[in-house]
Amino acid sequence: MGTVHARSLDPLPMRGPELGVHADDIETPDVEQETKQEVLENKDVIVQRVHIDGLGRTKEDYLTYEIADVFRAKNLIDVMKRAHKARQNLLRLGIFRQVEVVIDTSQGVDALPNGLDVTFEVTELRRMTGSYNTMVGNNEGSMVLGLKLPNVFGQAEKLTFQFSYGTKETSYGLSFFKPQPGHFERNFAVNLYKVTGQFPWSSLRETDRGVSTEFSFPLWKTNHTLKWEGVWRELGCLARTASFAVREESGHSLKSSLSHAMVIDTRNSTILPRRGALLKINQELAGYTGGDASFLKEDFEIQFNRRLFWDSVLSTSLWGGCLLPIGDKPTCIADRFYLGGPTSVRGFSMYSIGPQSEGDYLGGEMYWAGGVHLYTPLPFRPGKGGFGDLFRTHFFLNAGNLCNLNYGDGPQAHLRKLAECIRWSYGAGIVLRLGNIARLELNYCIPMGVQRGDRICDGVQFGAGIRFL
Amino acid sequence: MTLMLSVPLTLSNFSCYSPVCIDSSHFIMSLAAEAFVSQIAEDQILLSDCASSLAVQAYLRMCNLPVQVSYRPNAEYMSPSGKVPFVHVGNQVVSELGPIVQFTKAKGHSLSDGLDDVQRAEMKAYMELVNNMLLTAELYIQWCDDNTAAEISRPRYSSPYSWPLNHILAYQKQWEVRRKMTAVGWAGKNLEQVYEDVSQCCQALSQRLGTQPYFFNKQPTELDALVFGHLFTILTTRLTSDELSEKVKSYSNLLAFCRRIEQSYFEDSQAGSSSRGYSKGPSLF
Repeated sequence: MGTVHARSLDPLPMRGPELGVHADDIETPDVEQETKQEVLENKDVIVQRVHIDGLGRTKEDYLTYEIADVFRAKNLIDVMKRAHKARQNLLRLGIFRQVEVVIDTSQGVDALPNGLDVTFEVTELRRMTGSYNTMVGNNEGSMVLGLKLPNVFGQAEKLTFQFSYGTKETSYGLSFFKPQPGHFERNFAVNLYKVTGQFPWSSLRETDRGVSTEFSFPLWKTNHTLKWEGVWRELGCLARTASFAVREESGHSLKSSLSHAMVIDTRNSTILPRRGALLKINQELAGYTGGDASFLKEDFEIQFNRRLFWDSVLSTSLWGGCLLPIGDKPTCIADRFYLGGPTSVRGFSMYSIGPQSEGDYLGGEMYWAGGVHLYTPLPFRPGKGGFGDLFRTHFFLNAGNLCNLNYGDGPQAHLRKLAECIRWSYGAGIVLRLGNIARLELNYCIPMGVQRGDRICDGVQFGAGIRFL
Repeated sequence: MTLMLSVPLTLSNFSCYSPVCIDSSHFIMSLAAEAFVSQIAEDQILLSDCASSLAVQAYLRMCNLPVQVSYRPNAEYMSPSGKVPFVHVGNQVVSELGPIVQFTKAKGHSLSDGLDDVQRAEMKAYMELVNNMLLTAELYIQWCDDNTAAEISRPRYSSPYSWPLNHILAYQKQWEVRRKMTAVGWAGKNLEQVYEDVSQCCQALSQRLGTQPYFFNKQPTELDALVFGHLFTILTTRLTSDELSEKVKSYSNLLAFCRRIEQSYFEDSQAGSSSRGYSKGPSLF
């Protein structure tokens, strides 16, 4: 029989970290065309039936949106292409462990001579999956328990719960995610969380308990997210020696904010892209829907990547943002911007640029930062095609500034303030990509334009993070 | 509590915080130190916090240290011990009367230097009595008497916050105080018993005071400041019932004592009217 197994394709990686070569990096191989009988190859065919085998709790009608396209195929190659696309769609839902496609000639009484049946053999994820991790960091150890219920109600809804019990802090998060049938990218999520953060550069401890609802949708080439967030924030001093300026910020506040984020991302990888550009614009309006904090916050991020000779990549990025308090209340330390550290302006200590009081950094209401990087493969390319490809060497030039707004001065004075006393640094280092979510950097940095009060990290600096200048 | 004593006394600034912001002008007296006493905001402050703040203010005034009182809605959270009031001197922050007394002593200001060991032990015992009886009674009435909690304490305590945080924080505070009451064995008491305890405490104080101007004769000590802070606040604060102030009013020498301290440390212009952060509307008599 003219059976074609499209199973030789690797299952697509599900969401989440994956150490190693990312799917973005492999040029997608064409569907293996391994027809046993020539007869069908160039003939017009009709897809008569599409089966999905192995469904348990998933609602079948929900999946019809994902596979409907297969019926439109006109010839065998088309069938395979569309079936492959449908398979990717099914995997993207995050509810199947694996999906195999079997294409067969139609059988039975009403079978047409050129009729095909496409069968998706799926294996659903378990009703509930759990995870257990231990984490060590920042003088704190913690145990993280995670529970995930993929496909709770049979329509690719996802319920996740994470609980972290640490030697110092306890955090949890509960989130419910629901995509619109047929438009997985158009989705809705509700989160409930408690997070505690310790910020030694500000001698500040922050505990947030919050609820947020967000709605994401694609629009032309962009992705938009609309979000409402209500957070009860509790600020406190990390130590008795905290400066009085930080002590004055202690206490409870309620932030209720509406925010909108827009992203255009044409990069081929988020961590070490070779080509493409990124534009991210984020705006947040707090206080309009209640709460104590009132401000308007604008924030953007731009990145361009260009491939040069010998596999090297030139990457330029620019960040900027400003925070405008609404009303006469000054901005809160938790809302302001921070700059510096191995993930932004290298050569400076973590968030140790700009206004400070007794060594505690208070953040600024306006900032910009820019960087030019030249990424090259490791010298002599050890481990080429394998482990070595996770590494890059880079040469960088970073610059940035952070300051507070003073309302008497007007916008031109602000721009002047941002343009003078620019902090900048240059250096070189090695970057290691960790899956497609984070990267580690070991750099030798030379900070320049250091201002009074800034804390620098002259020489070797190690950094890890998910967002990089 | 450890005190860092690195600030040269002649230049240090004392400030004491509690919850309301009265910005009196910054005053530097020849004596050198100016204290910012920080309290909670005036329409937010509760009887017990007000009493503790007044005690610290009285103490600093007795030490002849200039005080600038600043009211902050988040004073409770600014304080290193989570209790008001606290003083801010130079870059140091010290909270509650006991540590503040130690702190000023280390800076060379003490009211109890003239006492001998026996008197000092006695003073400590009476201070413990006031803290254990009067302060606990104030907390009990504020948070465990449902009437007072609903009509006065919760609305005042939650006044700086927006919905729904105001309810959460007020009930959280009430819960915390009730737990403390259980721990000290007051949870089973009823209001009458608490009034009786206050009365007994006042009787003990009244007997100890006798006809002296201050508890240890001519000179005020931190005990006088503490007793004044609590009694004066009880006498001048309106609660749902007058019973608590009536209990105190039946001891005439305590009333005279409060009046005396009010006159000598809060009414005369020794610190200048502009630095009078103390803004209690009603005065005695």
